[in-house]
Amino acid sequence: MSDASDTPGVPEPPPEPEAPEAEPGSRIGIDSWVAEADQRRARGRGPLGLAAWGWESAPDSTKLLAFVAIAASLPFWLLKSEGDLFNFGLFTLIFVGLGLGLQVVVGLAGLLDLGYVAFYGIGAYAYALLSSGYYGHHWPAEATLPIAMGAAVIPAAILGFAARRLLGDYLAIVTLFFAQAFLVFTNVTNPTLFGKGITGGANGIPNLDPLTFFGYKLTSTKQLYFFTLGTVVVVAAAIYLANQSRIGRAWRASREDPLAAEVMSIPVNRLKILAFIFGSAVAGLLGAIYAAVSTAAVSTNFNIGVLIILYAIVILGGFGSIAGVFVGAIVINVSFEFLEPQTDYPSFKRWLFYGLIIFVIARLKPWYRAAVILAGTVGFGFAVHAVVAAMAGHAWTTGKPISGAGWLTHWVVIPRLNHGNFDNFLYIGLVLAVMLVASLKGWWRTIALAPTLYLTALVWENVLVTSPGVTALILFGVMLIVLMAIRPQGLLGTSRVEIV
Amino acid sequence: MHHLLLFNIIDQIRALGWGGAFTLLRNGIVLGSLYSLIALGYTMVYGILKLLNFAHGDVFMIGTFMGYGVLIAFGGALAPTIPFIPLILLMFAVSMAGSGVVGVGIERFAYRPLRNAPRIAPLISALGVAFFLENSAQLLTNSAHELYNGYALGGKNGNFGPLLNPVFTIDQVPVTVIMVIVVLTAIALMAALVLIVYRTKLGKAMRATSFDREAASMMGIDTDRVISMTFFIGSVLAGAAGVMYGLYIGDAYFFIGFLFGLKAFTAAVVGGIGSLPGAMLGGVLIGVVEAFATGYAGGQWSEIVVFGILILFLLVRPTGLLGSPAIQKV
Amino acid sequence: MAEPARKALLELKDLSMSFGGLKVIDGLDLTVNGREVVSVIGPNGAGKTTLFNLITGIYRPDAGEILLEGGSLVGLPPYKITQRGVARTFQTLRLFLNMSVIENVMASQYGRTKVDIVRAMLRTPGMRREEREIRRFAEEKLSFFGQRLMGYRWNQPAYSLSYANRRRLEIARAMATDPKILLLDEPAAGMNPVETHEITELIGQLRDEGGFTILLIEHDMHVVEGISDRVIALDHGVKISEGSFEQVATDPRVVEAYLGTKATVTK
Ligand SMILES: Nc1ncnc2c1ncn2[C@@H]1O[C@H](COP(=O)(O)OP(=O)(O)OP(=O)(O)O)[C@@H](O)[C@H]1O
Ligand SMILES: [Mg+2]
Repeated sequence: MSDASDTPGVPEPPPEPEAPEAEPGSRIGIDSWVAEADQRRARGRGPLGLAAWGWESAPDSTKLLAFVAIAASLPFWLLKSEGDLFNFGLFTLIFVGLGLGLQVVVGLAGLLDLGYVAFYGIGAYAYALLSSGYYGHHWPAEATLPIAMGAAVIPAAILGFAARRLLGDYLAIVTLFFAQAFLVFTNVTNPTLFGKGITGGANGIPNLDPLTFFGYKLTSTKQLYFFTLGTVVVVAAAIYLANQSRIGRAWRASREDPLAAEVMSIPVNRLKILAFIFGSAVAGLLGAIYAAVSTAAVSTNFNIGVLIILYAIVILGGFGSIAGVFVGAIVINVSFEFLEPQTDYPSFKRWLFYGLIIFVIARLKPWYRAAVILAGTVGFGFAVHAVVAAMAGHAWTTGKPISGAGWLTHWVVIPRLNHGNFDNFLYIGLVLAVMLVASLKGWWRTIALAPTLYLTALVWENVLVTSPGVTALILFGVMLIVLMAIRPQGLLGTSRVEIV
Repeated sequence: MHHLLLFNIIDQIRALGWGGAFTLLRNGIVLGSLYSLIALGYTMVYGILKLLNFAHGDVFMIGTFMGYGVLIAFGGALAPTIPFIPLILLMFAVSMAGSGVVGVGIERFAYRPLRNAPRIAPLISALGVAFFLENSAQLLTNSAHELYNGYALGGKNGNFGPLLNPVFTIDQVPVTVIMVIVVLTAIALMAALVLIVYRTKLGKAMRATSFDREAASMMGIDTDRVISMTFFIGSVLAGAAGVMYGLYIGDAYFFIGFLFGLKAFTAAVVGGIGSLPGAMLGGVLIGVVEAFATGYAGGQWSEIVVFGILILFLLVRPTGLLGSPAIQKV
Repeated sequence: MAEPARKALLELKDLSMSFGGLKVIDGLDLTVNGREVVSVIGPNGAGKTTLFNLITGIYRPDAGEILLEGGSLVGLPPYKITQRGVARTFQTLRLFLNMSVIENVMASQYGRTKVDIVRAMLRTPGMRREEREIRRFAEEKLSFFGQRLMGYRWNQPAYSLSYANRRRLEIARAMATDPKILLLDEPAAGMNPVETHEITELIGQLRDEGGFTILLIEHDMHVVEGISDRVIALDHGVKISEGSFEQVATDPRVVEAYLGTKATVTK
């Protein structure tokens, strides 16, 4: 697994760079690549540096094997309980698979596909219709999984051809509308077929069969986990191999510069449609697996929120990076599981939140600036708390933070009762404050940061903690904006991405 | 055979008759005027930045909430504390100005840092903004449908006010005051926009910037300011549409930005993205198509029919009704 | 260097193209014979690049014919035209910047290779063979530039190349499509005198050893004089002169187009 630009199988290792026409000691006339050779070779110190170096220099197949080995051992130590294996293991794998398919479309071919979730949903409904008591078909998985892929591919091909002439911009709007039309169709339209609504409406289709291959049922979470692991590894390998072939090169060339690619004998539109279809097939397959795993197909699991999560995964991992998808999916799904309303890790959530803030502050340079901000934030909090308590009365300061953490009550202002639109003003105030901080410079920014951080804590304790589901989605939205502003190639990505 | 859609439609056409058709046409034109106003924002931003501004629908959604906020601040439609005409004017003013500021803020913080970034970056940023606004609205409003109760404005003690009075009737189909307000306001705002774009210095700068941003900035045009103004004007139109949506359709809800925005966006594409008259025409067309689909096939089909129209247009006329094919300079 | 007349490879007949009201190519006739280097000169905005865009199918002519070995290219999409045997470089350099040097040259072999996605994913023996051949062909094209694009440079991303090396890579990438005719748009732009001399010799080699036919746009008269079998001068989309370098360079119409009536061409 590696970035798109790697080429494996180079017969000989590249010879030591020697600047062709440079005098000794002179750096003029040397490509930046050569000039930076030492820097690239220099590895970070300590075990982390060693690990990073080991990762960099390992062949791609070894990396995949390492992942498989670790993933296969997880059910026996870290994720021993069924629930943990389900939420953290199985779902992460499904997200990896979905991210891989999306990476082909977005990262390799450079298409903005906003209907990806619909193909995922189509796969799920295909499985539901063919392997459940709903219409009484109980087809085996070796038949329904390919059919689910086919069911996703057909509309993808139609959409791709419809938008072919203006693939770049129009594909985004066409696919976004397709995703919405799919939701409406499954949820509301639900036309009657054979005496029943074909998609089961808002309730979806429940009680699906377990995945059954040639009579062998996969029922336990562990079985499903290993099956999904195998599927994801196959998908990753397939995408990797495709990427290292003439098709992959043509995808990346069309992403970089569609016009130049076309002039270099590449049928750009045909290849983009191929990538789009390929991604949709992967989504359809994962949709069927997801439906079987969760034993139901319900349209709300294929909404725009899921799409944003998938984009967050791909972007976090870096455009065009297959290994990045694994990292992105693990980070996003694990943090999402912690933020989920039904899971009970509230204190963990809090530690995560404050830990993240302190981590960000601590990275500021010089150190005394970080210290000033930290001290300022703490002091500002106590001051505000005291002022509010004195002026507005104790009803404003004696509310209990959700789930314990009594130490917070002396610092964060939490009203005991619901004070009108207090929450809303806080939230909007925070958005404005962040914008203010973003437009200030130098010490002004440092000064403005302390109250803003305190406001963040207020909003977190008063507003966000109370509705974790929406909060997670808001944070993903913010993450997309911030990441695009500071690292458009994605957090772990190395290549710059050009042109849709 | 009631499950066969086609028979359903034929039955409906018979049942509704001419009056029904006219009702649908009326509804479509009013709805379409709102789409047009929003579509203009999409088309203007696309024209100048080649950016599909996914967040624009959510600016419209914020507009509906701003109008609602003003309404509530003055006692709500059922017991307003000031006369209703100034109240409505105030709602328009606040929502238009507020939405304009939101639009400028989005441009300043989400898109401006990406001026020279790869093309996909601002698109993803736009997605992030849309998602942020939508979920923030959900969080702040607790997913409530906030009712305008516009029918009561100007009425006594919560009774029907003048907004629902018919202005005139055609074949027994009434056209009410609010419908006339919506259509006339939309026409007036579009006329103002056309004047700005084709008759003022700012409009000239906008057209120059959209033609070639680099060259425009070399000619001394402050393109950042022009882009800001484009977002401002587009968002002002969306804000006006927001208030009218609240008064005519009836509520403010966090999800309408996505749904309504998507259809307005489709209107911009069908009309020919980048073209102002195209956006207006496309808006009315989509409105009418949606109204007829709702009337004859049922509301559950309306979005799917509109989607079909989008696909059809892309197949038959990819540049939209009034768009012209772009030539890439090599 | 006048060569005996050979069979026409590329023929343009009465070609016209305008943008809005502006006629950029106006009734142009041009014939390029096999294994010939024809240079197109003309002041800025004369329509030279537009001519290349027309031949490669990026623009569609308003009128006229473009024939390659007698077959019409008009209306074909660019990738098909390239597959027929026309390759080009871009004046503005349009490399696949995030791909490695060798991948740039491998990517442009798409049209002359066949393996589909299924065989690619299965890594069939046929696929491996073709992949080896693609790599060998790419290395061969890169080695055309001597040490300039060799060895360790293969695996560096194209964006790390110097300007002159980018121009060389553009040529290598075009060569890798295995064309009959190469269209080079200002290959010496941005090069120093030594490099310009080198590229001049190289273009000669392309014709003599590589067997390519070359249509060349160039502002540097040293290059044009050094290698052209024939020179065409364009002004406002009209062919104002054609012949050997000496004939064209001293043609009063050309002098006027470049410098106004009173001046004379200086090299
Ligand atoms: N896509 C286009 N739209 C409008 N005008 C164009 C387009 N492409 C080229 N032109 C115009 O056509 C004319 C010829 O351009 P062209 O690029 O062919 O010139 P050129 O001879 O290559 O000049 P140079 O030596 O500067 O490269 C110019 O006036 C240019 O502005
Ligand atoms: Mg040129």
